Amino acid sequence: MKQKTDVLQGTLALMVLKTLDVLGSLHGYGIARRIEQISGDLLAVNQGTLYPVLLKLEQEGAIASEWGASENNRRARFYRLTREGRKQLQLETKDWQQTAGIISRFFEAKAEDLL
Amino acid sequence: MFNLAASRAQEERLKEEIAEHIALQAEENIRAGLPPVEARRQAMLKFGGVEAMKQDYRAERGLLFLENFLGDLRNAGRTIRRMPGLAVVIIVSLAVGIGVNTTIFSWIQMILLQPLPGVSGASNFLLVEPRTETGGYPGASWLEYRGLQTQVPALRDVVAAQMVPFNVGEKGQTERTFGQLVSGNYFSALGLSPAIGRFIRPEEAVRIGANPVIVISYDYWQTRFRSAPDAVGQKLRVNERDLTVIGVAPRDFQGTMPPLKFELWAPATLAPALLGAPRALEDRSIRSFSLIGMLKPGATREEAQVELSAAMAQLARDYPDASAGIGGEIIPFWKSPRGPQRLLISGLAVLQGVMLLLLLAVCGNTANLMLARGSARQREMAVRMALGAGRWRIVSLVLSENMLLALLGASLGAAIAVWGTTALRMAPMIGSFPILFQTRVDGLTLAFAMLLGASCGFIFSAAPAVHLARLDPQEGLRSSSNTTPRSWARKVLMGTEVGLAMVVLIAAALYLQSFRSARQTDPRFQPEGVLLAAYDLSGRNPDEASEREFAARLLERLRSLPDVEAAAIATNVPLDLHGIPSRPFTVQGRVRTEPGQDRAISNVVTPGYFKVMAIPLLEGNDFAEMRDTAAPAQAIVNEEFVRRFMNGADAIGRSIRTRAGTFAIIGVARNSVYDAFGEPALPAIYFSYRDLPEIQGEIHLRTRRGNETALTSEARAVLRDLDPMLPLYDVRTFSQHIERNLYLRRIPARMFAVLGPLLLGLAAIGIYAVVSYAVARRTKEIGVRLAFGATGRRVVLQIIRENLGVIAWGAAIGWVFALLISVRAMQNGALNLPVFIGVPAILLAVAALACWIPARRASRIDPIAALRHE
Repeated sequence: MKQKTDVLQGTLALMVLKTLDVLGSLHGYGIARRIEQISGDLLAVNQGTLYPVLLKLEQEGAIASEWGASENNRRARFYRLTREGRKQLQLETKDWQQTAGIISRFFEAKAEDLL
Repeated sequence: MFNLAASRAQEERLKEEIAEHIALQAEENIRAGLPPVEARRQAMLKFGGVEAMKQDYRAERGLLFLENFLGDLRNAGRTIRRMPGLAVVIIVSLAVGIGVNTTIFSWIQMILLQPLPGVSGASNFLLVEPRTETGGYPGASWLEYRGLQTQVPALRDVVAAQMVPFNVGEKGQTERTFGQLVSGNYFSALGLSPAIGRFIRPEEAVRIGANPVIVISYDYWQTRFRSAPDAVGQKLRVNERDLTVIGVAPRDFQGTMPPLKFELWAPATLAPALLGAPRALEDRSIRSFSLIGMLKPGATREEAQVELSAAMAQLARDYPDASAGIGGEIIPFWKSPRGPQRLLISGLAVLQGVMLLLLLAVCGNTANLMLARGSARQREMAVRMALGAGRWRIVSLVLSENMLLALLGASLGAAIAVWGTTALRMAPMIGSFPILFQTRVDGLTLAFAMLLGASCGFIFSAAPAVHLARLDPQEGLRSSSNTTPRSWARKVLMGTEVGLAMVVLIAAALYLQSFRSARQTDPRFQPEGVLLAAYDLSGRNPDEASEREFAARLLERLRSLPDVEAAAIATNVPLDLHGIPSRPFTVQGRVRTEPGQDRAISNVVTPGYFKVMAIPLLEGNDFAEMRDTAAPAQAIVNEEFVRRFMNGADAIGRSIRTRAGTFAIIGVARNSVYDAFGEPALPAIYFSYRDLPEIQGEIHLRTRRGNETALTSEARAVLRDLDPMLPLYDVRTFSQHIERNLYLRRIPARMFAVLGPLLLGLAAIGIYAVVSYAVARRTKEIGVRLAFGATGRRVVLQIIRENLGVIAWGAAIGWVFALLISVRAMQNGALNLPVFIGVPAILLAVAALACWIPARRASRIDPIAALRHE
């Protein structure tokens, strides 16, 4: 049985991948801000939990990182999606949509349809 | 797997990222209107608990690493347990290969890095050798040493040592013990600390004969003094002088002339007293010292060489009689012109090269074996990859299995090396010199073994790992892969191993046969019942007359012993380890047409020699008695001499001329064996002890009945009577003497006995590996053939036929090679048919068996299962 933190980590990972897919290469802070904007209060506090997820994704080979210059010309670590990561994103997106479709059909099912 | 160093870098990186993140958030907050301090505080709150997050971060990273590592290990263990037979073969063959290489390495390391046991930093020592124009190294005189001590400033210390056989002990109980006469700075320059007591002080080696002190070795202290703590201060009677024991050398120290083992060290200034040579230290032409120098820190060998050459040139000018034409050379310790180091090193280097090639062959075999198994695991790997394992994980998996095998093999190999080095440490006396090779397995050697193991692991996992990693999971899941690996490399490996095995096996068989027959050859004299013993008058400085008189009296007394049937003294004993010398000569009635001089084996013997040795005199008489002053100088020759140099003419009466004088031939003896069994007939001249007395002698005694060893005590008593301080040493029976001679031949015999079957096994494994791999690869095809009606037998025959071609080629090339070598090496060109037919037969039989086993497995393939592979 998955813990709440696992669900959170899993969805967080997906969000990171999607963000990088849409916005291209970003540093950690940029990713956090974007996710915050979209998800509302999911990441309102504890932005730091992003970093273990980034590490996991990097170790799995879904994202890659390198040093670059941030907006204020300071050194920052930039992340980008790899080919494996893109594949993983496509797979998981399909999975989610499938799952969501099935669940929603269950919710819409009325008693009569099932008899 | 190797992220330990990277982890610290990762920590740093994380810190930087966190700092940057918070800074950016703070700036955002400022832009939103918050004051700077508050902005930063809000940013940090928003970030959340840094430490807790760092824990998660580390856990994430560590988990992965640990997970992978443990998983790999467990998996490797499981995989290996599933193939016990194969694992054992691989581990054992690796162990033998690594063990042999490690043993040889420990020898090389001993010679190069620790040439002087017990002395640290000895590999940096330099030999200071006077050198003649003809390239000889005669040694240094004492006065020369004293001069050189100060004239080569690049060397911080120069020590001198002279090897001397001492007679130690009280009247009638003397023992021959080897020691060194050394300069005063000897022990301090070597950086040694005494086990107990103290060492010779520099001022104790200044005035001739002033300080009668001596240092003993650790072993000597243990055996002779029974490790008594009060050994220091006791007196030791050496060459009839009383010396006080002042200290004991550290445990492993055996002197500065490896591999000779010395027990005593006395100041060089005692030389005149101990050697009975009053001018030993004053005469510049008595060169008996060998010099060792240590470089000053910062100085180079070239500087020392320049200074030495200058100093020797000056000496040549100042003392032309003793030093004209003699230069100097600075030589690193391991290149010493004396001792076996240089020969050993070159021999060992060759051996190490050969053994490394052997190890490479083992790796090749193992790679093939793993590949043969690997094709069965393709499905497993494909499943893993489909389940999400990255390519690196697969490679890491295969690597960890192979590394585990390699490291197990290396550990067993290290154990074999330990056994090997301790077995070789058992040192015999060579001739009568005590020798000790202190080889051992230390940290460096173990590291070498592990390095070999790791390298092997990499080498034989490279191919399978790359192969598996490049697998497309879809294809792997479906069918047997269609890759066409370069099979000719495998075939070449197989053929080479067969060829090599053939050469070594034939060589081994020939050697072993000659060795066995050597022991049964008739030496053409009678060694049974003869006792040998040696005496040495060196300490007495006798002249010719006293040497002759001593020998005469000794003979008389020995002959008068009741159990002695015949007695004689000679300078050389046949079948000795270092061979019998030969002398150039001219003989009346023979004109030599080729350049150079005729040479013949020469031995100086007393009358009665031929009786003791049971060598019949075919013509003429034995030598005149020792005290006979009337007869002219005499010589006795053997049959071969007459045949070769006199064309069968009458030899008696002719005269022989050598550097030592002119001698009249008075007899002809039958041929016998002189140098080694199996030698061709050699011409020999026997001279009389009466004419050419020597300072040393080998006593030959034939016992009247029973055991010749029983004569030992009687002979000792006789010698003691004649000269109480003269020991009888190297007492052995002739049979023991012959065994000793064969001892050195026994070492290569044993090596061959081990190497031969080893290579045979290697070749067999190699063939088995290649054939099973080919079978595994073509499972489907074979299944189809079987399904279509081919009999199992036809399949087997086809596989064998395909591979036997390469095997036959390899065997043939090896056979021809062995033939060439044997024709070159053997003196008698006769072809040893049993060996040259028997060995290939055995080899081919084994090869066929190695082919047949996997082939039979192929024939047993269930065609349905094979087809289902698709």
